This record gives sequence, C-alpha cells and structure tokens, in this order.
Amino acid sequence: MNETSDFILFLGRFHPLVVHLPIGILMFAFLLEIVARKEKFESLNTAVPFALLLGFLSALIACVLGYMLSLSGDYDAAMLDSHFWFGVFTTFLVLLAWLVRTDILKISKSHKVKANISALTLIVILVSVTGHYGGNLTHGSDYLTKYAPFGQTEKKELVAVTKIEDAQIYGHLVQPILESKCTSCHNESKKKGGLSLADSLAIFQGGKSGQVLVPGSALKSEMIKRVLLQPHHDDFMPPEGKTALTEEEIAIISYWIDSSQAGFKTTIGTVETPENVLGFAAAYLGLSAEEHATGGAMPTVSKVDENLIKDLISEGFRVSELAFDSNLYEVVLPAKTVTESNPKTMDEKLEKLLKIKDNVIWLNLEDNQITDAQLQTVSQFKNLQKLNLNNNAITDAGISKLENNQSIKSINLYSTKITKASLAYLSKMKNLKNVYVWKTALKPEDMAALDEETKQNLHVVFGI
Amino acid sequence: MCNNHHNKLTSSNRDLQKLERQIDRRHFLKKTSLGLGAIALGSLLGSEKMFGATGGKSTEDLILDNYNKNRLGLPHHLPKAKRIIYLFQSGGPSQMDLFDYKPKLVDMFGKELPESIIGGQRLTGMSGSQSTLPIAPSTFNFKQYGESRAWVSDAMPYLSEVVDDLCFMKGMQTDQINHTPAITFMQTGHQLPGRPSIGSWLSYGLGSDNENLPTFITLVSKNGKGQPLKASLWGNGFLPTEHQGVQFRSGKDPVLYLSDPENYDGNDRRHMLDYLGGLNDIQKDAYGDPEIQARMAQYEMAFKMQTSVPEVADLSDEPDHIFELYGKDSRDPGTYAANCLMARKLLEKGVKFVQLYHQGWDQHNNCPGGLKNQCKKTDQGTAALIKDLKQRGMLDDTLVVWGGEFGRTVYSQGQLTKTNHGRDHHPKAFTMWMAGAGVKPGFSFGETDDFSYNVTKDPVHVHDFHATLMHLVGVDHERLTFKHQGRRYRLTDVHGHVVKDLLT
Repeated sequence: MNETSDFILFLGRFHPLVVHLPIGILMFAFLLEIVARKEKFESLNTAVPFALLLGFLSALIACVLGYMLSLSGDYDAAMLDSHFWFGVFTTFLVLLAWLVRTDILKISKSHKVKANISALTLIVILVSVTGHYGGNLTHGSDYLTKYAPFGQTEKKELVAVTKIEDAQIYGHLVQPILESKCTSCHNESKKKGGLSLADSLAIFQGGKSGQVLVPGSALKSEMIKRVLLQPHHDDFMPPEGKTALTEEEIAIISYWIDSSQAGFKTTIGTVETPENVLGFAAAYLGLSAEEHATGGAMPTVSKVDENLIKDLISEGFRVSELAFDSNLYEVVLPAKTVTESNPKTMDEKLEKLLKIKDNVIWLNLEDNQITDAQLQTVSQFKNLQKLNLNNNAITDAGISKLENNQSIKSINLYSTKITKASLAYLSKMKNLKNVYVWKTALKPEDMAALDEETKQNLHVVFGI
Repeated sequence: MCNNHHNKLTSSNRDLQKLERQIDRRHFLKKTSLGLGAIALGSLLGSEKMFGATGGKSTEDLILDNYNKNRLGLPHHLPKAKRIIYLFQSGGPSQMDLFDYKPKLVDMFGKELPESIIGGQRLTGMSGSQSTLPIAPSTFNFKQYGESRAWVSDAMPYLSEVVDDLCFMKGMQTDQINHTPAITFMQTGHQLPGRPSIGSWLSYGLGSDNENLPTFITLVSKNGKGQPLKASLWGNGFLPTEHQGVQFRSGKDPVLYLSDPENYDGNDRRHMLDYLGGLNDIQKDAYGDPEIQARMAQYEMAFKMQTSVPEVADLSDEPDHIFELYGKDSRDPGTYAANCLMARKLLEKGVKFVQLYHQGWDQHNNCPGGLKNQCKKTDQGTAALIKDLKQRGMLDDTLVVWGGEFGRTVYSQGQLTKTNHGRDHHPKAFTMWMAGAGVKPGFSFGETDDFSYNVTKDPVHVHDFHATLMHLVGVDHERLTFKHQGRRYRLTDVHGHVVKDLLT
C-alpha cells in the first residue's frame, strides 16, 4: 500500500458521518413522494426535486470521502468493492431521478411508467443495500445477524469442560477474550492495521507492523506490548472508547503465549500454570475456583426459604450469609444458649437446622451441651467446612460419627473429652487440615501413632 | 411577611430534593389524614413506623435483615476472616531494629548515607538540616527463628516464638512522613481527617455479629506515651454515626457515661427509651434526617452495653495461666497486655473489628533504649494474643495486624555513638505483619536494599494493604462505596490492589 497522506485519511474518516445525510434525505424524498399523492398534501410535491438534489450532492460528497477512507487499506478488498460500486451507482441513480423529476430528462410521458415512484423505490433499496455493505465493513459481516432470534445459530462451541486441566488454553480462554475485545476491528472483513485475529492462521500472519506474537515471550509480543502501554499512548489497544482488557485477561493471554508457546490445542493440564492464572481460568470457565481468587470453594446449593431462617433465628441461632446470594451460611449458636437446665432443647434446634443442612458451611456450636448422639445429626451436613464443637462434653464416640465427612477443613475440639482415639477418626476425614485440641487428653506425643503422610497434612494445635 | 414559611424552599441538590419529596408526601397526607389518608400513610411508611417503640420492626426481623441478606450485597465473596484485630504501634517502629535484618550496616558504622540511596527524597525538618547523615547500624542482635527461619531481633523474645504464624510485609510504603497525616492515612486511606476508618467501613458494609456490642471497638493502652491519638482515627467520617469506633477505656468505666447515676436503679430505662424512640420516630418522619436514625441506634446500643460491657470487661474469670501468658501487666487494666486480653474476649463475643493503639514508638533519640522499653511493654502481650487465639481455634477466622504508620531512617538523627542513636521518620520502607485467617503463615514478602531505605522487591503500599484487608473479610474494595457530596468514596480512594501473594 502506497503511503496515503494523513490529511486524506483525516477527511476519509468523515465518511461514516456524512454518509447518513443522503440516507436520511433520500428516505425522506421517498416519503414525500408517497404522501404527496394524497390531495391534501399535494403541495409537498414541489419539495421532492429539492430533496433529490440535496440527496445527490450529499451522496456525492459521501462517495468522495468514502474513497478517501478506502485508501487506508484497512478493509477487505472484495467487500469494499461491492460497497464502492453500489454507492457510486446509487449516487448516479439519484442524479438520474432528479433529472427526470425536474423534467430535464423527459422519459415519463413517453413510456407510461411512473418513473418518479419507481426510481425512488429503487433508490431506497439501493441505499439500504449499500448501507448494509458499509455496515458489514465496519462491524463485521455477522454483526447484524449475530443475535437474531431466527436463522442458523451456527455455534462452534467447544465441548464444555468439567475439569480445569482439560480446558484448551486458546479455545476456552484466549479466543473468548479476543472475540469480546479485539475481533470487532480485527476480523477477516475489517482488518484494522491489516490484522485479523479471527483464527490461528490469521493470528500468525500478523498485521501491517509485523508479527503480533513471539511464542514463548509475551512481553516481546506486539499483542501484549500494545495492551500494556499507557492508555493515552497512540498505539494502546483497544483504542480509546473501547473497553480495555482487564488485568486477568492480560494475564491469561500472556500465559498462553508464555507457557504454551501460543499453541492452539494445548490444554491447561499439560503446561505449568501459575496459581493466579488458574484462579482466573476457573472463574472464566465457571468451574469451582477451589482455593483460588476468592475465599475458597463455593458449593452450589439451592435457595433457602426465608421462613426457615426466621425459624432458626427464633431458636437462638445467628444466621449470616457468607457471600451475597451464594445461599451459603454461617450458623452460630451463641455460647450457653443451651445450658444444663435445658439440655433437651438442643435436639429440636438441630432438627430445625437440619432443614438447611446443605447450605451451612460454617457451624459453631461451642459451649452448648452438645452430646455424642447429636453429632450424628451434625454428620449429615455435607458441605460443612468449619465446625466448632469446643467446650462441649463430647467424646471419641462422637468424633467417630464424623469420620466419613469429606468437606470439613477445620474442626475445633478444645476443652472436650476426646482422647487419642479420636485421631484415628480425624485422620480419615479427607479434607481436614486444622484440628484444635487444647485442654483435651490428646497430647503431642500421641501424634506418633499416625503415619507420616497424615502427620504432614493434619495440623493439630495443642495449645500451651 | 410572616407567611413566608409556607413558601417552599427547594434545593438544587438532587439528594436534598429526594428528602424534600418525602416531606412533601408527608404534608400531603397530613392534610388528607382523616380516614384513608392515615391508612395510606401507614402503608407508605411501612409497618415499622406504625409501632414506634424499639424503632419498629420486631427484633427477629431486624436480625433477619442483618444476617440473611445484606442490604449492600455484601460480602462480595466468601470471606476468610470474620474478625480483625489491628495492633497499631503508633509512632513508627524501627523496622531495621526489629525485623528487617541488615547485617552489612555494621561495617558502615558512621559512614555518610549515600545520596544515591536517599534519591533526592525530602527529609523532615527534624533531620533535614543535619550536616551529616551517618549510618547507624542496629544495636540489637538478630537471630532466625521457627521453621520459617524468620529474622527477629532480641528486642522481641516472645514474638520470636510465634514467627511461624506471621506473614511479614517488609516492603510497606506510605505517602506521609509525619505522624498525624500518616496515621490518618493508615486508618482511613486519606491523609486529611474526615474519611471513615477501616473499622467503620467494615461495620457499615458487613454489619454486626453481636447486637449487644458495638461492631467496632477501640482500645488505647495507658502505658504508652507519645504523639496524641484522636477520635477521627476511629471516626465514621461521612458514614452513619453508629459505625464509629467505640472507645473502651481502662479503669472502672470502660465506656464513659454508661453506668447508672447513683441512687437510680435503671428499672424504668427501657420504658424511657421506648418513649424517646417514639418521639424520635416522629422527628425522623418530619425531617428524614438519617442522623436521627443513627442516634436512635446509639441509644439502643448504649442500653444493651449497660449489661454487655461490664460482662465483657470483667477479666476476673480468666484463669491464672492466661494472665501468665499475657504477662504481669495484663492484671493492670488499660495496659497493652490487658488490652490484648480484653481484645481476645471482645473477638470471642463477635466484635468484628478491634482497633488497639499503643503509643511511644517515635524514637527520634535514644532509639536502642526507647525501643527496648517499648518492646518490653508490648512484646509478650502481642505474642500471647497470637498463641491464645490459636489455641482457641480463632486464628482460623481472625486476622491479626501489627504495624505503625511508617518506618524509621537508617541514618542517625542527632549524635551517633556506638551505643546510642536516634532515628527519624521514614515512609519509603517499613515492616508490618499479619497473622491468621487467609494469610500465609511463616511467610515474608518484600525486600529492601542494604540500608532498609528503599523497597527493592514486592512493595506493598498502604492502599494495597487496605485492599488486601478488605479482600480477606469478603469485600471487594472497589465495590464498597458511599456517596457523599456528589461523589462515591471508598477506603482505597482510586487506588489499591489486592496483594494475592500474601493470601493462602
């Protein structure tokens, strides 16, 4: 492409602005023509030639500006061609229509055709077609129909992944980002800067300023360099007015270039993945972001009826939602709500709590006369992550009821009647990490009975 | 002329217009208040206003509101920490005499601090005019402790026992070089007073876990002397007043004016408050001033605190071995150690944010002696708090923060001798640590140069620290905002990044 002077391009960019003038004026001319057929509006007839002339002049200017814009070379040649010729032809037809209407050219009487109305109908059609081609050039050819409720919804969706390791770095993570932030300007039909990011081939072809990728080195890749510039820099991408890439998105694309050498089929599991990227990826894919970006794994549970919560509150429980709209709750029974004088009420309370058992992930029952038998009920809370049972008269028999639990990460048993026999049950709880056993018969030397692996995983706090 | 008050005063401010509209509706209904009007009023204002007394809704409903669905859509994500205790070391503890071990300084004793290190920084008026800035190596001995092999000086023998629970941030940075702006910045995210403090933001955003105690409590230890502290540090700023920190004092009355006057048994207080509440409700309907609501909430809280505070402030049921753990100071109410113990009790009761202050870390002169003295007063209490929280399983969901408003200079302020020197304020690098819920235990983040003067790796700015703190309690610091004077404010202003490297 020869260098086009900046001034030409500057003028050219007014094309999208000016082009709407002939569209509007010609449409209006068409309306005038139709309405003027009614006797009441006959006087409007005189306005039609004027509208046509104005339409022609503005169309002419739009054509010239459009040509200037096309010199930038940012557009797909084939699509540009049809837009160009349709535009020129429409302009010519408008001129013709004006000539006919003003009787400079006399064809209507001789051929018995309603030249005016048919010419204008044709113009409207042509204007629409030209406009459509123009729109496709700017926004991409599927812009208009992408969200259409009918027609073929040809989605090239990848198989949804259930495990984060199986996700394709490009297909599942990078491509959606490119599609949301880049390809509206960098596609096959509208190659801004000569670059298309539509598919792997196009990406490796690069753009006017060369390759966009340096596999294995994100920071040397033009693609990453551009998005990391200061937002006011001329070369910053996406340009001003478009939504910039988020930190997470940049991290994911960088990781793709660095770790997988910009491979198009590589999956997350096969390369080394930094923890933060894993977190972003999990969030993107809607997979459980175990221990990543947020405070921890979030089991998906159903909504709890508000009346159940009210009921629990009237029983003395404190119920708080741990994250807004997660339906996951922390439930605390304040210490000494149940005392020696009314130990029986605990069964009722737990029975009520059982109704929301899947929704409770932190449960605190400290100092409330909990018995071993009641731990049978507690064992049904399958999403529990944190359980406080301290200062209750529970024994090893109670702990044995929890041994099959797979979710609890932290259990507080200080000031209970447990002994070293509980260690065997606790070590069976797969997810358990922290155990608090201060003021119990359990002593540090009892840990010797455990195998090495359990000792590594289980963090038992004995206190002083 | 006297009829002027019938003319409507209307405001051009949109928020005020909203209030005015409320008043208009009230006037309208008042005029048509016979029959239908009164009923309409009742339904418009909601049932809560119809039954004055305790502020309206049944307690259960209030609790439900509080616990079930947070009105602000918080927490934004699963929290790691349910509670925070912030041990503020006011004055600016010297990082290179406590945690930031700089062995190379020994050989540079008395040498001039290179200009390349100072980097054209503007010093304070206190040392800026000194003709020389001689390097003063630490007079303390450093050793490595625990499995994490963390360096701690012998000024803190007790803390060195718990280093495997601590997460050091050695690259802390602040924007302020003088006490008042620096403390204000650290506590409110801005150097000028008037913004809400961290605890107020959390109280506002997350609500209370114990309706009988304030969500945010401040303790100032009596055995620290130094730069004054002021209430704006735990103030609510532009947030509703009930979110300000309630200061507990040492001595007989932890909260002033809470106990009944002599010869008054307090039996009719509930009745009095109910009636007062009714009157305030009328006033609130008339003027719609949110501060009336705040005042009502505070009366109610004060009433509840009449029983809850004496209970929680009473340390007599603590066993001897706990007092021994915190040190003998802990038997003397109001000392740092006693406040640490009190803080643990408050946290146990569900207080969300305890802000503790200990003054006197401002070692402009006699740094070796002064620092030793400070550590003697605080070291055992701090370490005991960590141990005590840990053995109770509370470190699982409690975040402990330790730190001052800035660090201190490597060069001596005033005369340097082998055994004595002073240190001036230093905002460009200092050390803080956190422990407990959601932060990596036995971990050190950030590095400084050989002079502990500039951060060379992984800096953590005050805004980043705030963002991280908020993250740990389930709050996205960019989304907890409050509109005031036409602008939405947040703790981190327009800054701050969550430091993910610190998180478990």
